[in-house]
Amino acid sequence: MIKNVLIVDDDQEMLLSVKEGLEKYDETFSVIIAGDGEVAVDKLRADPVSLVVTDLKMPRMNGFTLLAHIMERYPDIPVIIITAYSTPEMEKQARLGGAVGYIEKPFMIEDLARKIVAALRQESEGGTLHGISSGTFLQLIEMEQKTCTIRVMDRNSEKQGVLFFRKGELMDARVNGVSGIEAAYAIFSWDEVNLSIQNSCQKEEKKIDGDLQGILLEAMRLKDEASAEVEQVEAVEMAEPEAAPEPLAETPTATVRKRLEEELGQRSGVDDIYEDSSWNNLLRQVEETGALLDAGRLRVGYVDRRAGTDLILLPGSPAPTVVSVNPRGPKDRILQILINEELSS
Amino acid sequence: MNTELNFKDILDLDDVKGVLVLSSEGQVLFRDIPAPGFARVDLASRDWTPFLEALEGIREADFIYDNCRVYVRESAGGYILVLMGHFAPIAMVRLNCDIVLPSLKQAHASKGLARFFKRKK
Repeated sequence: MIKNVLIVDDDQEMLLSVKEGLEKYDETFSVIIAGDGEVAVDKLRADPVSLVVTDLKMPRMNGFTLLAHIMERYPDIPVIIITAYSTPEMEKQARLGGAVGYIEKPFMIEDLARKIVAALRQESEGGTLHGISSGTFLQLIEMEQKTCTIRVMDRNSEKQGVLFFRKGELMDARVNGVSGIEAAYAIFSWDEVNLSIQNSCQKEEKKIDGDLQGILLEAMRLKDEASAEVEQVEAVEMAEPEAAPEPLAETPTATVRKRLEEELGQRSGVDDIYEDSSWNNLLRQVEETGALLDAGRLRVGYVDRRAGTDLILLPGSPAPTVVSVNPRGPKDRILQILINEELSS
Repeated sequence: MNTELNFKDILDLDDVKGVLVLSSEGQVLFRDIPAPGFARVDLASRDWTPFLEALEGIREADFIYDNCRVYVRESAGGYILVLMGHFAPIAMVRLNCDIVLPSLKQAHASKGLARFFKRKK
């Protein structure tokens, strides 16, 4: 995951020489620059920033005001102060204000780089995961009541977001200058992500209500709705009068739909239910494998084909019943319901 | 790479019975299934090709039987099968497979000239 370090100083010459000096660390982090505190605030809103290095004396917004702004709005972002007019009182004030490092000018670029790398290392002290679906992992965080800050990168768009957890509860989220529930919905709509875990959470105020499962489902619904709107616009001109809906017969498909609606309501995450004989070969192979393992009868299967929806397969004749579900939906819960009800028989 | 160590975390999970790693050609690359056997027959002697062909395009699958559950995960050049009971923590199994996959990819990539040639059947 690319880590951006924001360097803030009104001395252009200094700014450019620091940027140039840090270029040799470009495999570890990238440098963004800002000429004063106000520009830095805009950059923080626009770009994902992992760490800020700021001068203290600057026009418009000085380093202390910027530090206070960061502590209020982005408490997870560490700040290192650099100054040419250092006094013990100033250093004390900066530390009390939340700065993690304090460097007097002039300084060696390697000393600054060492402090940056040490602070950035904390971002991923709890480990990193690549190319995973975030839903499963985040439910584990909730289940294990973890306190952590999780930085998430969408592998498709390369957008970055942050999730804050305290004792398994989602406190807040942030992406592209947006925070709270809207940011959580945006992050949860990403299909394949890289994660880095920091074993602490600076957010104390809970800005997101509701349980994680509900938020994941709502994010999924909003995503589906957005895709459906696009499809609807495309289909308007092609539309033909619809045939009257068939009365609901007690087919396996109808039984499955009824049971899932009863258990999960409208927010079930189920996209469609149908019969499809093209899965017969896979199920036959899986049944043969089960016979070798003395596994008994195959009751239900789940398949992820890297497509927009995952499939739950219920063996049946002449064709299995297929439940198409959103990958972020409660698939384990759906599997459990279908097993319990013996709907496949 | 020590394959056994890679799968230790998965095998240590509650109610996980065993792990089987298949190459895309159907060879059993790794097997840890408790003796005298969770399976009725020697799994290495099975022709896995039709099973693997049926899995084509599938990234992840989970099959639940009366007596057990089989989690299937595509890996670099094959599939991992995790055999478990109904009480295994499936989310942990998925997560541990996510963790083990990069090291399997590395292992596949570091086989020298062997990676250029298919095994003679």
